[in-house]
Amino acid sequence: MSFISLMGIELKKIRRSKILFILAAATVILWLPSIFNADVNLRMQAEGISPENNFLIQGFLGMAWFMFPASMVVSTVLLNMTERSNKGILKMLSLPVRTTKLCLAKFVVLLILGFLQILMMTGMYFISAEIVSQTQNYDFVLKPLVVFKEAGFIFAAAIPMLAFFWLLSVCIQTPIFSIGLGLASIVPSVLMINTKVWFVYPMSYSFFVVTAEYGKMASKLSTEQVEFIPWIPIAVGITIVCLFISCHRFGQAERR
Amino acid sequence: MSFGLECKKMKRTGFISAFLCGGFLAAIVPILNMAVRSENYFGIDDSPVQILMNANWQMMAMLNLLLVVAGACLMYHTEYADNAILKISTLPIKESRLFWSKVMLMIVMCIMILIIEAAGIAFCSYHWFEMSADVWMEVIKSFGYALLLMLPAALGSLLIASVCKNMWVSLGIGVVCVFTATLLPTESFVLSLFPFALPFQIFVETIENTAVSFMIAAGMEVLFIGISESICLKVRRLFK
Repeated sequence: MSFISLMGIELKKIRRSKILFILAAATVILWLPSIFNADVNLRMQAEGISPENNFLIQGFLGMAWFMFPASMVVSTVLLNMTERSNKGILKMLSLPVRTTKLCLAKFVVLLILGFLQILMMTGMYFISAEIVSQTQNYDFVLKPLVVFKEAGFIFAAAIPMLAFFWLLSVCIQTPIFSIGLGLASIVPSVLMINTKVWFVYPMSYSFFVVTAEYGKMASKLSTEQVEFIPWIPIAVGITIVCLFISCHRFGQAERR
Repeated sequence: MSFGLECKKMKRTGFISAFLCGGFLAAIVPILNMAVRSENYFGIDDSPVQILMNANWQMMAMLNLLLVVAGACLMYHTEYADNAILKISTLPIKESRLFWSKVMLMIVMCIMILIIEAAGIAFCSYHWFEMSADVWMEVIKSFGYALLLMLPAALGSLLIASVCKNMWVSLGIGVVCVFTATLLPTESFVLSLFPFALPFQIFVETIENTAVSFMIAAGMEVLFIGISESICLKVRRLFK
């Protein structure tokens, strides 16, 4: 079976899971406070950031800090539970398909879900920026290129984190521990981005990227900037190690 | 009897150890914070408990909330996973009994994690600040208040978990609720009454009158959630 058709099957499995509703609800809730408190953006002289940039960054910060990682933990639960609930995984494992391929197909589905959520969030940004521009009589809509570049950067920076969550959900069979560890690992990222070794903690990457962008946009605020050299090799290393272990461990508990 | 049953059901799911670990993790937060940057907190003209709670409670409450949400999902997941809930509903007991015994277990767990966290806070005030006799009273009051304000979130997440058959739906809704709570402005009294926002309140920070109204509100929310649960069960039975 080719990889593409395996992915198609995985996508079909989650078709009726209502996960997209949950992901969409999260993005709607993310922008609601920004719409109601839009006038705050016009009073940001202390930081030296323009209102439209502040509107974008505040929303993206909320997304990258908690909403996106937590939604991805929920998605890993979904990908695992649909298989385990009626022993579907046993049937999948009995097919003449490499388990590595199966595992990677599921991981790609996780990536697609993450991508869709970022896309929905960006869509919601344009809608809410349009609404706020109407209510505040000030043009809040930024150029699509800037917004999409930032959103793409968040997504790219989140890939190691997704690999880590996927590793957790494959290796830890007890659901409460994989969920609990995943959710609990999000909370310290606030502390991690303020340290020198933020690049060893994949959960803080997206948040760090947005904070760095915040520092760039706000003239009176200096945040640490992204340095690619220790970061990219370590991030790639973490991703590869996580994926390798999860591919190796995938289905082992069931095959015993 | 059914409380004992609930404990047995949870025995091999790692539920209790997850709460223990979560409690210790949250208790380590203030200790680590003091160990790394204690100089930030000296010289503030507040009581030790107040300083410690101000510095760490946001993060500790967040951990507690996530733990409660995940625990509630797991509790009902064990029922739904192999249709055990259908067998429960054929028993000659009220279906809401199941909910309330789960609530009892959840409350016991909440008390457990709060005791661990209180010990953490007490240790910090003993180790880094001068210990005085009223610290104990203050810690007990703070964590009693925290327990009361955690109840609506605990019951709320159990309600969500009992209504949704799939674990990811209930977990997703729970996570979205926690996220909403972090977005709500803290100055507004009405908005802080959102069940998932209540646990972020700090007792030593609030004026007595406000604290009393928060407690009354928490009690009313518990009542309201209890009533909605029994209505949900009745309605679901009608359409099954």
